[in-house]
Amino acid sequence: MLLSTTEGIPGRTIKRFFGVVSGSTVRSKHIGRDIMAGIKNIFGGELTGYTELLQESREDALARMIQEAESLGANAVVNLRFATSSITQGAAELFAYGTAVQVE
Amino acid sequence: MESAIDAVVNIAVPLVLLAVAFFTGRRIERRHYQSIRARENELRMLPAVTFRQIPSAWVVDSFGVVSGSVVISIDYFKRFLAGLRTLVGGRVASYESLLDRARREAILRCKEEAHARGYQAVVNLRLETTRVTRASKNNRATAGVEVLAFGTGLELRRDPR
Amino acid sequence: MEFDGRLPREGINTSPEHPLREFALLVAGLLGAVAACIAIAALAIDRLVPLVPPALEARWFGGWLAPGKSSDPRAAQVQALLDRIASHWDDRPYPFRADVLDEPDPNALALPGGTILVTSGLLAQVASENELALVLGHELGHYRARDHLRGLGRGLATSLVLGALGSSGELVAGLGAFAGGVAQRGFDRRQESAADVFGLALVQAEYGHVAGAGDFFARLARWQRDAPAEGRRLAGYFDTHPLSEDRVTALAAEAAAHGWPTEGRLTPWPTPAPE
Repeated sequence: MLLSTTEGIPGRTIKRFFGVVSGSTVRSKHIGRDIMAGIKNIFGGELTGYTELLQESREDALARMIQEAESLGANAVVNLRFATSSITQGAAELFAYGTAVQVE
Repeated sequence: MESAIDAVVNIAVPLVLLAVAFFTGRRIERRHYQSIRARENELRMLPAVTFRQIPSAWVVDSFGVVSGSVVISIDYFKRFLAGLRTLVGGRVASYESLLDRARREAILRCKEEAHARGYQAVVNLRLETTRVTRASKNNRATAGVEVLAFGTGLELRRDPR
Repeated sequence: MEFDGRLPREGINTSPEHPLREFALLVAGLLGAVAACIAIAALAIDRLVPLVPPALEARWFGGWLAPGKSSDPRAAQVQALLDRIASHWDDRPYPFRADVLDEPDPNALALPGGTILVTSGLLAQVASENELALVLGHELGHYRARDHLRGLGRGLATSLVLGALGSSGELVAGLGAFAGGVAQRGFDRRQESAADVFGLALVQAEYGHVAGAGDFFARLARWQRDAPAEGRRLAGYFDTHPLSEDRVTALAAEAAAHGWPTEGRLTPWPTPAPE
C-alpha cells in the first residue's frame, strides 16, 4: 500500500478513486508511565513513555486505515492527514485519514 | 453489620447502574450503526474526498462550504471501563466504537448537507474531534465527544462518475 | 479518473472483543492487584511495628486522653480493676489508664499510649467483675501484640494505595476500598483470638479461675441471634471485634488446655444507679 500526503502518488496516475478511509485508535497510558511522567514533570526532559505510546498509536491507526483501503481494492492512499485529540484523562485518540485510490 | 450493609449498597448501586448503562448503551449503539449503514449506502454515490485540488476533469458550476457535526455522549459503563483501562494501559475499546460512530455520522451529515444543497461532490474534507466536558468539582469529566466534518461542496456540470 | 462508490469493510475501527469480557477481566485484575498491594503493605507494617520501642510510643501518644477527664465515677472503679489485672503482666511497657466514654453502644478500645476506653453502654451490660476483667485483659492483649500500632500503620498504607487509585474515578476507588477491607478482615481475626488468650491468662492469674469470663461474649452472641433490635445496638462492637460463638468455644478450649477451673465465685460488679 502506497501512502502519501501529496495530491497524488509521484510518477503515477490515479485510475480510480474511492472515498475517505480512516483508521483510529484510542490508547491509554498505564500507571507506570504516569508515575514516570510525574517525576519528569519536576526535572524536565522528554517523556519517552508517552512518545512511545503515541508512536505505537500512530502505527496502529495507519494499519487500520490501510486495512480499510485494502478492503476497497485500493493500492494507495493519498492526501493523508493525522489528527490527535484527548478523549479522557489519560487516553488520547489518534486517527489517520486519506482518500483511497487505485494507481496504475 | 452496618458496614456490611454499607458495603453492599456501595457495590450494588453502581453495579445496577453499570448494568443498565451497558444494556441501554449497547442498544442505542446498535440502532445507530444500523442507521449509519443505511444512510452510507444511500449516499455512496456522493464522493467525499480529501483532495486539496479539484481534479482537472471536473467543471465546477458552484461551490460552498458544507459541514456536519455530532456530539455523542459517553455512558456510565464506557466511562467505567475507560477508567480501569487507564490503570493498566492499552487500547480503550469502549471509546473506539464511540469515535467510529461519531466520525461516520459527522461525514454522513456533511454529505447530507451537500446533497441538500445540490452538490455532487465534497472535496478537501477535514475532520476535527473535540472532547466535551462537564464542569465538575475536580477533574473535568468527559461528557461526550464532538466530531466535525467539513469540506467544500461542488456542483458539477457533469457527473463525476 | 473514475469514481467508485463502494463502502469499506465493517468493524475495522472497533475492537471485536466483547465489552463484558473486558469488564470482567479488568475488574478481577484490579481487585486482585489492590488486595495484593494492601496485603504486602500490611505484612511490611507487621514487620516494622515491633521495632517501635514502647517508651517512644508512650511519648508520642501519651497525650491522648489524659486521665481524670471523664466525670464518670465509674472510671476510678475501672481503673482500680485495670491496675489489678495489669499487675499480672510482668513486663508491661507503660502504665495503663482507664476511662469511660459516654456512649450507649457497648464497646472497648485500646488507644496508642496506654489508654483503654470502655463505653458506659458496655459497663451497663456487665453482670460480674470477672466479665469486665476479661474485656480489659483482652485489650491488654492487644497492647502486648502492638495491634493498635498495626492498625494505625495499616490504615496509612491502605490510604496511600487508595489515594493512588483515586485519580481514576470514584467507582474504581470504591472497588479498591472494598478489596482492601476484605484483605484486612483476615488479619483482624488472628489478632482477636491472640488477645483473647492473653486476657484469659490474666483473669486466671487474678481470680484463680476463669468462671464467668466468657459470659459477656456468650450474652452478646445470644442477643445477636435472638434479639435483632438489641443486636443492632451492638453493631459498633461487632465492627471492631468480629464476634462469633466460636470465640466462646475457643475460650473454653483454652481454659481446658491449661487446666484452669471454670467454676468459681463470681465477684459482682457494682452497677451504679442511672443519673
